[in-house]
Amino acid sequence: MKLRRTAAILTAKALSFGCKLAGKQGVTMAGKLALKMDPDILKDLAHQVREKIFVVCGTNGKTTTNNLLCSAIEAEGKKLVCNHTGSNMLMGVAAAFVLAAKWNGKLDADYACIEVDEASTVRVFPHFQPDYMVLTNLFRDQLDRYGEIDITMKLLDQAMKMAPEMKVIVNGDDSLSAYLAMESGNEFVTYGISEQVFEDEDSHEMREGRFCKKCGARLEYDFYHYSQIGVYHCTQCDFKRPCIDFDASHIQMKHGLEFDVEGRHIAADYRGFYNIYNILAAYSAARTGGLELKTFDQVLKNFNPQNGRNEVFHIQGCRVLLNLAKNPAGFNQNISAVMEDKEDKDLIIAINDNAQDGIDISWLWDVDFDRFRSEDIKSITVSGIRCEDMRLRLKYVDISSELIPDIKTAIEKRIREGSKNLYVLVNYTALYGTHNILKDMER
Amino acid sequence: MKITIGHLYPDLLNLYGDRGNIQCMKKRCEWRGIEAEVREFQLMDHIDFSGIDILLLGGGSDREQMIVCQKLKALQKEFRDYVEDNGVLIAVCGGFQLLGHYYDTEDGRIEGLSLVDLYTEQGSPRLISNIVIENELFPYPIVGFENHSGRTYIQGNQPFGKVSYGFGNNNKDKQEGVMYKNVIGTYLHGPLLPKNPHVCDLLLSRALEKKYGDGKLEPLDDSQELEANQYIVKRFVN
Repeated sequence: MKLRRTAAILTAKALSFGCKLAGKQGVTMAGKLALKMDPDILKDLAHQVREKIFVVCGTNGKTTTNNLLCSAIEAEGKKLVCNHTGSNMLMGVAAAFVLAAKWNGKLDADYACIEVDEASTVRVFPHFQPDYMVLTNLFRDQLDRYGEIDITMKLLDQAMKMAPEMKVIVNGDDSLSAYLAMESGNEFVTYGISEQVFEDEDSHEMREGRFCKKCGARLEYDFYHYSQIGVYHCTQCDFKRPCIDFDASHIQMKHGLEFDVEGRHIAADYRGFYNIYNILAAYSAARTGGLELKTFDQVLKNFNPQNGRNEVFHIQGCRVLLNLAKNPAGFNQNISAVMEDKEDKDLIIAINDNAQDGIDISWLWDVDFDRFRSEDIKSITVSGIRCEDMRLRLKYVDISSELIPDIKTAIEKRIREGSKNLYVLVNYTALYGTHNILKDMER
Repeated sequence: MKITIGHLYPDLLNLYGDRGNIQCMKKRCEWRGIEAEVREFQLMDHIDFSGIDILLLGGGSDREQMIVCQKLKALQKEFRDYVEDNGVLIAVCGGFQLLGHYYDTEDGRIEGLSLVDLYTEQGSPRLISNIVIENELFPYPIVGFENHSGRTYIQGNQPFGKVSYGFGNNNKDKQEGVMYKNVIGTYLHGPLLPKNPHVCDLLLSRALEKKYGDGKLEPLDDSQELEANQYIVKRFVN
């Protein structure tokens, strides 16, 4: 038994190391191999976590929320296990624990913070039941892989029932996530924003969950923050936005992001309204877990996950910002963040259609690209496997773009031509490669 | 000249980028100096078919489709008159299934509008793929993406195309979609029209023909549309 465990851990570590040398992410393979050699490995390792296990779920914001939560907990002097790279299916989760373990099968961790793909929760929870689940939001994403949102919600509901002791920390402003938590029977706490932040939200944005999940009637909104996130109630039944336990107020976005919660002032040098939710989610989770978070401001200041989410590079006098944009809600929030920057800028959009991206890219037509029609956007370059589709999408909102299929060539050209401010928005499988290209160029 | 496009229940039937089909028709009118108006109909709205030149019925989840079908049943007669009077209708995915008599699912039967003699049965696995089809009406293939568990049988009707790559109506008879009078029903999204400007123009031309007696359209520069179309054809067929 013990020999098998040692062999599994060593094999996984060796594989992961080898992949790193080759410049590849071998995390999933490492997890797969370890579970195959020792099917109980995840269960036993998770059992060794001394205090609490958090999982983070939701369509958008998982990785950033989870990494922030990790940093916040580490700042309290705790040791933890985390799947930093965002490998969030069963194999990735297993790998996080296995790679953190010592060769003798011992895990030295106070906490685990694990992001889990929504559909994978029902595969992960048989191995361990978390103490807390953070549920950030639910949007349409990769319909070819997961089917409709209804299916994702069914799976999450099953998962919550598999872990009845698990407390859910839920975004109360998302009617779909809130509904799940409220109906699950699990204990839950909520976070949200009760004040109206945007004057006239563009009503053309694609919204999920316009109808009450409880009775089917149309939901009425006092206001929207973005997509279906806002303050809502049902016109027919008693379903409404729950009371908010962690309510962010006095939202400011002039210089980075600022807000108040629990009487504390929180400031971060990030862009993008959605990041308020990510920070708030991590904060609420850690506080619910009993942590004091005395140095949370410092945590936010030092937070630099270097994983291509809002990552900044400086290349030959050009500021390059790389971000992931992989579904309509996420892309629309990215567009908002880009447009908050009033300086002149160039833009590269790379769209792939590999299995992990979703091979159906029709969602591009649900993104409000017309908002890129602006004087301060000096150029848009389309790149990636489906660059022709992206160019066509822009054509139908009267935006012309340059087609350069190879992302590296595209970045080099923009920098050579003197761009000082370059945004690179890519979907999932383009992220890792683009991140490495930019890192190389920065050196 | 003016074309009025009716979009049926965009709040419920909006799963696969159907907004792109509307945007495509609208732009290709505008680029030719033809006025285009889009009317969105919600579940409670009265639909006056007489003011509509092109109708789009999109796809939604099975649950949403069930809600829509109950509503549409009340409009069955007006809908049939519209179709029999050569009204232009493009029905995608769930909308395509609703054209027929019924869609049998494991949760029960969804009654269709019986506008076209066809029926659908749920099957497994779900048919998910890029797809390329051919139709002699058009100078080049029609490309898109399909994602459906329904198997549709169009009896003796004309298909929208013959499958060169992908599954088609039922993964058996190599047929995709249906054409009946000025109705096109299809599983292709992606969305359908932007990468298949020839299909979009056929719809516009038929609508103009019916309204003004002349369906001639000025040609547009479709090089970017065709490059996107050809990419799919080359990758999956040649």
